[in-house]
Amino acid sequence: MRVLVVEDDTNLNRQIKEALTEGGYAVDVAFDGEEGHFLGDTEPYDAVVLDIGLPQMDGLSVLEEWRRAAKTMPVLLLTARDRWSDKVQGIDAGADDYLAKPFHMEELLARIRALVRRAAGHASNEITAGPVRLDVKAGKVTVDGQSVKLTSHELRLLSYLMHHKGKVVSRTELTEHLYDQDFDRDSNTIEVFVGRLRKKLPEDCIQTVRGLGYQILED
Amino acid sequence: MKIDPLLDRLRRRALAPFLTDSIAARLFWLSAGWLVLALVATAFLLTELYSHALDTSLSQTLDFYGETLISHLLDTGDPTSDQVFIADPRFQRSASGWYWDITDGTGQVVNLSSSLTGSLLPAITTPFDSDGHRTAALTDEFGVRIRMVERQVTVRGKPFHIAVTGSLDEIFRLAGDFRGQTFTVLGAVGVMLAIMSFIVARIALRPIGKLSVAIEKVREGEASTVEGNFPPELAPLAEEVNELLRSNTQIIERARNQVGNLAHGLKTPLAVLRNEAAGSRTRLGEVVLSETTKMTQLVAGYLDKARISARTAVVGRKADPTIVMLRLSRVMQKLNPNREVVFARPDASLPWFRGEEGDLEEMAGNLLDNACKWSAGKVTVSMMAERTEATTQLLIRIEDDGPGLTTQEADKVLQRGVRLDEKTPGSGLGLDIVKELVDVYGGTLQLKRSNLGGLLAELRLPSARLGRN
Repeated sequence: MRVLVVEDDTNLNRQIKEALTEGGYAVDVAFDGEEGHFLGDTEPYDAVVLDIGLPQMDGLSVLEEWRRAAKTMPVLLLTARDRWSDKVQGIDAGADDYLAKPFHMEELLARIRALVRRAAGHASNEITAGPVRLDVKAGKVTVDGQSVKLTSHELRLLSYLMHHKGKVVSRTELTEHLYDQDFDRDSNTIEVFVGRLRKKLPEDCIQTVRGLGYQILED
Repeated sequence: MKIDPLLDRLRRRALAPFLTDSIAARLFWLSAGWLVLALVATAFLLTELYSHALDTSLSQTLDFYGETLISHLLDTGDPTSDQVFIADPRFQRSASGWYWDITDGTGQVVNLSSSLTGSLLPAITTPFDSDGHRTAALTDEFGVRIRMVERQVTVRGKPFHIAVTGSLDEIFRLAGDFRGQTFTVLGAVGVMLAIMSFIVARIALRPIGKLSVAIEKVREGEASTVEGNFPPELAPLAEEVNELLRSNTQIIERARNQVGNLAHGLKTPLAVLRNEAAGSRTRLGEVVLSETTKMTQLVAGYLDKARISARTAVVGRKADPTIVMLRLSRVMQKLNPNREVVFARPDASLPWFRGEEGDLEEMAGNLLDNACKWSAGKVTVSMMAERTEATTQLLIRIEDDGPGLTTQEADKVLQRGVRLDEKTPGSGLGLDIVKELVDVYGGTLQLKRSNLGGLLAELRLPSARLGRN
């Protein structure tokens, strides 16, 4: 899962990036509205954390531009202004959730998880595929109730496929959503991780669709 | 007996402005004072003029009688003759003040009126004028004040003095009567004028009362400016008051914005400090965490306070609750896609909320937020008008199918700053601001058990009449 953080306060930006990275997300950051808008417009993100008060271009305008350009990724608005009229304005501009500063980082993580989950059409924090069960909140995977140890890269890959289970996911899409923009993208690494995952999970869990990509089948 | 105190009170109330150092009192006493002075002076002047006119007329009568005596004297040539007389019967009554006598060159009385028998006329000390004529006001032997006219004539070579007198007492009596009547009439006029000036003072000062009522309305928050038509003397004052209000509002607005900017500006650094401290397990981290938590609460608390104290002039403001609740339901539905937010749209006859739209949003929004937070899947919003004899209130019902609250919990929650579950995110001020705003608007908030199984929040707020500002 790849997340964009647009926040002009460098410390807060760093903290959010650290927290999200720790939570298993690939994170890109932007420090002003224009940069944020450009990234959101050109890169595929699974969620965006967007501050309202930004230099160059304010958050609401950025959001409206994205929505006008039919960008549908879930957006969590961050703002110091927490009046209901502000919330209504934010939601009407196309935001999916709203978080008032100062906030607890766990709260932000929970909201992002929920947004990503909702965007993929899952109602709960747990996604299952056959015997494989993924607890999104805890970042834990079990097979038939037995805990499976995964590295963070493996977890990211599985999480993305589980979120989009039933859908064929191309290697390019995986690369785009699993690594931030500074990562040296080599599609071989995806194959390496898929291979490792297959060893830890039931054999037929991740299927290869020749020429298209990978897929986790719906139950 | 019972009426007396009432009358007394009424009198005191009506007259109160005229017994103090008020403008009405000054106007009244000043005009009344001048009025009394002018009326008294007029009365005296009139009486004086009248008695002077009477005196002049008496002198003319006496002159005429003198001429009569002289002509008789010339006819008969004998001053002692019976043919020398005045027909007026007043000259026959003694002590009437009406006398005449004729003295010769030696001062010997040669003839006199029968009224003068047995007594003597007082003498005039002033000399005769060039016409042989002199006059004076004197007192006779009986104490009657008289006007005496004396002529100097020569008949057949002999000099005579002919003196005729008339009673001045009669004139004084007449003048006295006249004075009495004058005072009565002018007194009545004076009383009428005093009443007039009382009324005039009240009418003239009425705009001042109107102005003070208008200013009071502003203070009470019923009006935002001093409104009404005032006379040219007061209009600038009203305008100045409005200017003052405007500049005051601007100053307050600016100060409030600064406070708001400061408070909001603090939120990002607070967030940074808190997040940083939360990650560190040191003593410094703990201190920073606890202090930033306090600061966060302070910032939120003062922002709410500023928000509430900004509610000085809500007069004439009204909001369509249907639109507000539609909007909030839509937002809450989007924020909570796994809940069903059902808004029972009321009919168009629902009264509007009397107050600021943002405040209604704040109250209903926080309640709706709570409902969504606790609900298991369904939140319903309904609105209706609650009519009593005196007022019509707007009733907003927000209910959920969550765990709900017991009566004790509900009572506790309605106290200030109390949160039941410290784990569910939020500053704990959500319900506080609702309670404060409900108080400001004189509404009520009740927490009950919903038919859905969870909490039912009933918010009653003042309503505005439809189609009226």
